[in-house]
Amino acid sequence: MPADLTMSAPIATSYAGPALEMTGIGKRFPGVLALENVDLTLEPGKVHALMGENGAGKSTLIKILAGVYQKDAGSMRIGGAETAFKTPRDALRQGVKVVFQEIALISEFTVAENIFLEEYPTDAVGSIRWTTIRKDAAALFERIGFGVDPAAKVGNLPVSQQQMVEIARALAHRARIVVMDEPTSSLTPKEVDLLFAVIRRLTGLGIAVLYVTHKLDEVFEIADTVTVLRDGRHISTKPIAAHSHDSLIQDMIGRRIENLFPRSRGPARGETILSVEGLSTSKLKDIAFEAKAGEVLGFFGLMGAGRTELAKAIVGFDPIRTGRITIGGKRLAPHDTRTGVSLGIGLLTEDRKSEGLMLELPVLQNTSLAALGNFARSGFVDEGSERSAVQEFVDRFRVKTPSLNQPIKNLSGGNQQKVLLARWLMRGLKVIVVDEPTRGIDVGAKSEIFALIDRLAGEGLAVVMMTSEMPELLGLSDRIAVMAEGRITKILNRDEATQEAILNAAIG
Amino acid sequence: MSEITQPVTSTPPVRRLAENSPIVLFGLLVILCIAISIGSPQFYSVENIIAILRQCSLVLIIGAGMTMLLIAAEVDLSVGASLAFAGVVAMDVTNQTSNVWLGVGAGILFGGFVGLVNGLIVTRLKVNSLIATIATMMILQGSVFLYSRQAIQNHNQLPAFTALSTGYLGPVPVPVVIAAIVFAGTFVVLRHTVFGRYIYAVGANRQAARLSGLKPERLTLLVFVITGLLTGLSGLILASLMNAGQPTAGRGFELTVIAAVILGGTSLSGGRGTLLGTLLGVVTLQVINNGIIILGWDQELQMVVPGVVIVLAAYLDLVRRRAGAR
Repeated sequence: MPADLTMSAPIATSYAGPALEMTGIGKRFPGVLALENVDLTLEPGKVHALMGENGAGKSTLIKILAGVYQKDAGSMRIGGAETAFKTPRDALRQGVKVVFQEIALISEFTVAENIFLEEYPTDAVGSIRWTTIRKDAAALFERIGFGVDPAAKVGNLPVSQQQMVEIARALAHRARIVVMDEPTSSLTPKEVDLLFAVIRRLTGLGIAVLYVTHKLDEVFEIADTVTVLRDGRHISTKPIAAHSHDSLIQDMIGRRIENLFPRSRGPARGETILSVEGLSTSKLKDIAFEAKAGEVLGFFGLMGAGRTELAKAIVGFDPIRTGRITIGGKRLAPHDTRTGVSLGIGLLTEDRKSEGLMLELPVLQNTSLAALGNFARSGFVDEGSERSAVQEFVDRFRVKTPSLNQPIKNLSGGNQQKVLLARWLMRGLKVIVVDEPTRGIDVGAKSEIFALIDRLAGEGLAVVMMTSEMPELLGLSDRIAVMAEGRITKILNRDEATQEAILNAAIG
Repeated sequence: MSEITQPVTSTPPVRRLAENSPIVLFGLLVILCIAISIGSPQFYSVENIIAILRQCSLVLIIGAGMTMLLIAAEVDLSVGASLAFAGVVAMDVTNQTSNVWLGVGAGILFGGFVGLVNGLIVTRLKVNSLIATIATMMILQGSVFLYSRQAIQNHNQLPAFTALSTGYLGPVPVPVVIAAIVFAGTFVVLRHTVFGRYIYAVGANRQAARLSGLKPERLTLLVFVITGLLTGLSGLILASLMNAGQPTAGRGFELTVIAAVILGGTSLSGGRGTLLGTLLGVVTLQVINNGIIILGWDQELQMVVPGVVIVLAAYLDLVRRRAGAR
C-alpha cells in the first residue's frame, strides 16, 4: 500500500485517448434485455451526462461500470486496455468510483475513517496510522475545496456533505472515472452549486465524470456531452450545445410533449375551502393563508423552509402548537388525520415509500385504503364494488399495471404516484395537499401528473402544492406562497410571480 | 431516482418454492404423514388423529390471534405465561364459586386483560412489542406464583370443567370445535372485513395507514386484546385438560405458536400472512411432535425439531422477501 496514496493525482498514463470506452454493451436478465448494444465514451476532464427515463437502462449500465453486474456482450476499455470488473473492488482498483444515490458510508465512523475504509494505511506491526489518515483526509479536502472536519462523524453530516465524502473517497483511490448517480436528488440549490464546483475541480484534475440524472436543467449547466438511453438502447450522444430542452425530452421519451403544463381549467371559483390562521409548530411560525375551490396554491421554499412540515400539520398528521385550520367551514379538531380525512383534506406525501405505499400489498388494496369505508356494509367489504371502483380509477388515471393484484412495489414511480392520487380521489376530498408530486418520476409520467392536478382543480378541489421545482411551481400554480424559515414571506399572484421575485422571497 | 428495468434474475427452485409456501407446506405435511405412517401404522388410527387435533386446537386458537398480531407487525411473547395464569385463575374462580361458567369467564377475561395491558404498553408507552411482552411474560411468570404456590386442583371435581377439553360434540372433541369456530371467525375477519384489511394496512405501512385516516394505535390495541382473549380461552382448555390450574404450564408455548405462524408464511415484518398458512403450520408442527412420540424417538427431539423448523421458516421468509425486493 503506497504511503502517498492520497496525494497523488489520478494515475498518469501516456495514453491520450478516452478514459473509458464501452462499445456494444449488452446485458440480459432472464426475460428482460436490459441493455442492447450500448456505446459510451468518457473523455478525461469532461462531464458526460447519462439520461433516460426509469427503466431506460441507466442503472444497469452504471452497475456494470461499478462491477456490480457483469456485461454479457460488448467490450470495455479503460485507458485503452480491455477490461472487465468482477467485483466493485475490481472497479475501484482500476480507477472507477461510482457514487450511488444511496450513500455507502458507515455513519458511526468519522469522515477520515470512511475515506480510507477499503485500505487503512498501517505501520510495521499492522496497527492503523490514525494521524496519517486524518492528515491525508484533510489534504484531500483541500484539493477539492471542501471544508469538512475529517474527525466529524459521518452520521452527523447532511447528505450533501456525505456525498462530498464519497467523492473524496474516489480521489483517495486515485479514480480516473467518477460516476454520480442522481447526485442532486436530496440537495438544496445552494448545495447543488457546491457540488457543481466540486465537479469542475474534478474535471480540472483530468478526471472523467459520468453524471447520471433525469434533471434537464442540471445537464445544461454541467455537462459537455449527453448520452440518452431508452428501453435499454442507445438513442443519441451529442454535445450539449446541439440539444434543446425539447430535443432532449424527445430523445428520452421517444415522442414529443407539446406542453408540459396544459391548462384546461378555468379561473378559480370563489369560495374559500381551506383556511389556516395563526398556525405554529416547533418548525412553523404564524402561518396564515386561504385556498379556494378550483385553484392550485403553490408553496415554494428552499430546503428547511418548512414546506413538508406545513403539509403535514394542516392535514392533521403532525401536531400543532397553536392555530386554527378550517376545511369547508368546519374546524380541524381534534387535530388528527382521521378528522382531517373526514372533513375532506388529504396529503399526497413526498415520501411515497415510507408514508404512502404499502409496498408488499397489491394495487387494489393500495388504491382503496382511504375509501374502504365506502365499500363496507356492517363492517364487511363488498369486494365486487371495491374492485370495480378501483378498476375505474386505474383506467381513468392510466395506471400501467398488469392487474389489480400486482404488488405495488413492481410499479414505476409515476404509476405508484397515480395510485396514491387515486387513493385520495376515491375517498372524495375538498382539499388535496401534494408534497413534491413529481419526485422520482419520469418526464413522461410527470406531464400526466400535472394534467391530473390541473383536472382536479378544474373539478373544484383546492390543491395545495408544495414544491422545490421552479418550473412546476410556475407552470401549475394560480397563486404562489413563498416560505422561508418556517414563515410565509410572500404570497404572489400568477401574473406577478417571476422566478426572481420568488427566489428573493425564499431567501427571506 | 433511476430505477431500472427490474432484472428478473433466474428463479432458483428454493425461491420458487418459498413463494408458494402453502403448497410447499401442504406437500411437506403429506410426506410427513406418509413417512410416519410407514414407520408406525398406529399414526393414522382414529385415536391418534383425534389426539393430534386436540393438541392442534390449543396452538391454533392462540395462533389465530398471533397471526393477526404479526400481520399488524407486532408480536406477543407473553401468551405462554398468560395461558398458565389464565388457567389458574379459571380453576380458582371455579372452585370458589362452584360455577364453571364464572370460571370460564374469569379465565378469558384475565387473558383479555393481559392483552389490554400489552396493547397499552405498546401503543401508549411506545415500547417495542417484543420487549414489552418479554417484560409482561416475566411479570406473569413471577406473579402467578405469588397468586398460588402450587397447582390448583379441581376441588369440587366439577365434571363440566373437564368436559371443556374431554367432551365431544358428536364425534368431534370440544376443543377442536372451539378451535374451528375461532379459525372460521378469524379467517372471515382477516379476509372480508374492513377491520381485517386495516390490520394488513397497519402492518404494511403504519404511517400510510395513519395518513389515510386510520388509527393504527387503536387497531393495534384491539388486536392485542383479541390475542389476549384467545389466550385466556386456550388457558381454560389447558386447565381443563389437566383438571387443574398449573402455574408452570405453558412455558415456551409462545414459541410454539410463533413458530407455527411463521412456518405458515406470515411475515415477521408485517403486512403479509394468511390464517390458512397458520393452520398448516400448526398441524405440521403437531404432526412432527406426534411422530417423534409414536416412532419412539427421544422426547428431547420435540424441542430440537421445532427449533430447526423455526430457522428454516425464518430463512424462507427472508428468501421470500428478497424475491420481492427491488
